[in-house]
Amino acid sequence: MMTKKLLATTTALTLLMGTIAAFTSCTDKNGGDDSQTTSTATNDSTTTGTNDNKNNGKKVTLEVLTNRTDRDQDGTLDKLVEPFEQANNCEIKWTSYSDYSKDVPTRMSTDDYGDVLFIPDEVDVNDLGDFLVPLGTYDELKDKYNWVSKKMDSKKNVYGLAYGGNAMGILYNKKVWADAGITELPKTPEDFLADLKLIKEKTEAIPYYTEYADSSWTINQWCNLLVSASGNPGLENDLLTEKTDLFTPGNGYYDVMKLMYDVFSDPDLHEADPMTTEWESSKTWFGEGKIGTIVLGSWAISQFEEKAGDKAADVGYMPAPFTAADGKQYAQTDADFCVGVSKHSKDIDLSKKFVEWFVSESGFAFDEGMIPTPKGSEIPSNLDNFKDCVLFEKDVAPDDLIGKYAAIDTASEVGIWLGDTGNFKIQLAEAAFGNKGEEGFKAIIDEQNKKWADARDAELG
Amino acid sequence: MQEKRSFFEWLKTYDGQKFTTTILFLLIPLVLLVLFTFVPAFNMLIYSFQSRDLFKVKGWLGFDNYIRVFTDKEFLTTFKNSLYYLVGSFFQQGFALLVAAILCAEIRFKGFFKGVLFFPYLMNGVAVSIIFQRFFLKGNPPVSPEGTLNSIITAFGGESIKWLSDTERPWLVNICLVFVSIWRYIGFDIIMYMGAIQSISPDIYEAADLDGANPWQRFVYIIFPGIKPIISLQLILAVKGAISVFEIPYIITGGNFGTSTFVIKTIEMAFQKKKLGVASAMGIVLLIITIIVTVIQDYFFADKPVKKKKALPRASK
Repeated sequence: MMTKKLLATTTALTLLMGTIAAFTSCTDKNGGDDSQTTSTATNDSTTTGTNDNKNNGKKVTLEVLTNRTDRDQDGTLDKLVEPFEQANNCEIKWTSYSDYSKDVPTRMSTDDYGDVLFIPDEVDVNDLGDFLVPLGTYDELKDKYNWVSKKMDSKKNVYGLAYGGNAMGILYNKKVWADAGITELPKTPEDFLADLKLIKEKTEAIPYYTEYADSSWTINQWCNLLVSASGNPGLENDLLTEKTDLFTPGNGYYDVMKLMYDVFSDPDLHEADPMTTEWESSKTWFGEGKIGTIVLGSWAISQFEEKAGDKAADVGYMPAPFTAADGKQYAQTDADFCVGVSKHSKDIDLSKKFVEWFVSESGFAFDEGMIPTPKGSEIPSNLDNFKDCVLFEKDVAPDDLIGKYAAIDTASEVGIWLGDTGNFKIQLAEAAFGNKGEEGFKAIIDEQNKKWADARDAELG
Repeated sequence: MQEKRSFFEWLKTYDGQKFTTTILFLLIPLVLLVLFTFVPAFNMLIYSFQSRDLFKVKGWLGFDNYIRVFTDKEFLTTFKNSLYYLVGSFFQQGFALLVAAILCAEIRFKGFFKGVLFFPYLMNGVAVSIIFQRFFLKGNPPVSPEGTLNSIITAFGGESIKWLSDTERPWLVNICLVFVSIWRYIGFDIIMYMGAIQSISPDIYEAADLDGANPWQRFVYIIFPGIKPIISLQLILAVKGAISVFEIPYIITGGNFGTSTFVIKTIEMAFQKKKLGVASAMGIVLLIITIIVTVIQDYFFADKPVKKKKALPRASK
């Protein structure tokens, strides 16, 4: 009897508390919303001057979402932002996600996704305005920063600035290449192949490591070289306006794929069994000087240096071995994650200030071996080989062609950036491993040319 | 005295409560089933007639997607690869039946062998695939040593073989993958067959012994008819399995070197090439093939004794 009564009382109490909690949380929410609207109101009225005074009373904490778990955990980021915290009397709280592209879009379905965030690519550029505050227009920012167009909607509002950029090139082991007696980096595909042969003859190392077991993404690294090889920033647009074949000798697409085909065709130039390559271990082997060359974006440099330990100085990066018709070597650069400000930020102005400070003054990109975002910045030493190259960004598509390139790519099923099992790059690689020769190469690219042309004509009329 | 009761009064009776409880308990699984199986399947049927990506419909295609599934040479390779697994599964069934028959006889360490043979089935498919990746490895000097199989071959003075990437013998890699598949799933078959064999009454064996039946006759006239339903079940599973192979090739070769399967292609179509229409058509084709196989096995392995029983009362009239 006693226990029963007790039980009933406890249940009633719990229920009561639950209800109260629910009510208070509701009012809390309302209160929160109210204060937020007022704070934005003050923001709007005070943008012209006294903005900084507002922060004097209470320390503002800005939450910044990032994908760089490595630099968050080792404390680099916290240390990096100290000067900013002192100058603006605020606190920066980093939240890092290892599965960024999955966790952050989920979090973005609520109103709470930090004050500043690295913009996930899953958000369509034309939807950015629903989540983020514009940092300026394209015309305002384009003279000051690189890669401004990356997170720009069709009205030319820029929602994010890159924290740094990568150059497109080829990873090579300086010691292996020097041991083979190579003093000058290759400037043409023929030189490149000849150098790989030299490495085979004079050293024990594997001249080129295909990483083919992870081909679904490693084979795409060759595509990083497409625009660089052509030396034409408007290559993708020209393909649509001039309606040339996708693979035409001299247009980058053909030349890069031919180089890949030639490297893969010669069993002496790559590892014996491409099916059993190991990505993680290859970083160590590369540092040990057992691998000569791998085509990878410059994002990989720091990873390979880390695994190379005391031999980090051997990790080198060279531009794509193609010389354009004007006798110059070109290298495309592209932005890494862009940083934007949440629409629901506690302090939008301070957040904007932080974004600009982070991408320009923090020096984070330089320390990471990336090209810094402000125009005309010094290039980090790991990209020394690019000093004589012309660095350029891919052109923005003209208004009437925005999205067309991607649409044709999908409709034709060519999949320039895909690594599916029927993809042309996989077909080329396997034809090369099977030593199918020139005809094998031509048969595959002719088929792709036709698919592309059909889809292009359907799309553009 | 029978009083007229309202529906609500009836609900309060024992029968009524039994009725409500049944409905309530059935409601949850049925709602889940409809919501997560029938509705998506119906949607898939509609998608399969459309040209569409993950979000937008671009138009109606009629049967074009289906025609493509059976004419595109990319998909035809996957059907060819399924044949490897189908042929492999026949060997698998035969071998499993043999082992099961042996294990049902009086032998020592029966439990131990049963455990060893069933163990691969309990292992995670990813783990199995990674083990065999190492097993078939061809070393890449100077970076990596030979894999298990090649080490054994070279130890006996043979030449190491590119098991997974031999472009001159493109069938080799598929044979290797089929072998992995057999190794993984045979334990399950053995247990199924053993269960079926052991469920045959020992009296029948005794009678057969008295009549002087040899082991082969015992197998053909007692065991085989006794486990026929299990064999038919295994055959459907084999055909279904052959066409829906996924994880083993996906992890070991990534579907490269001509090892792509129907399911790998379906996933690529939907999520990489963004052709959800074609992918849905492939899903429907897979469903139809399974239905056809089930109907065929029903026809050949129909449970004849049941029909005889039905016929009996009529004869007695």
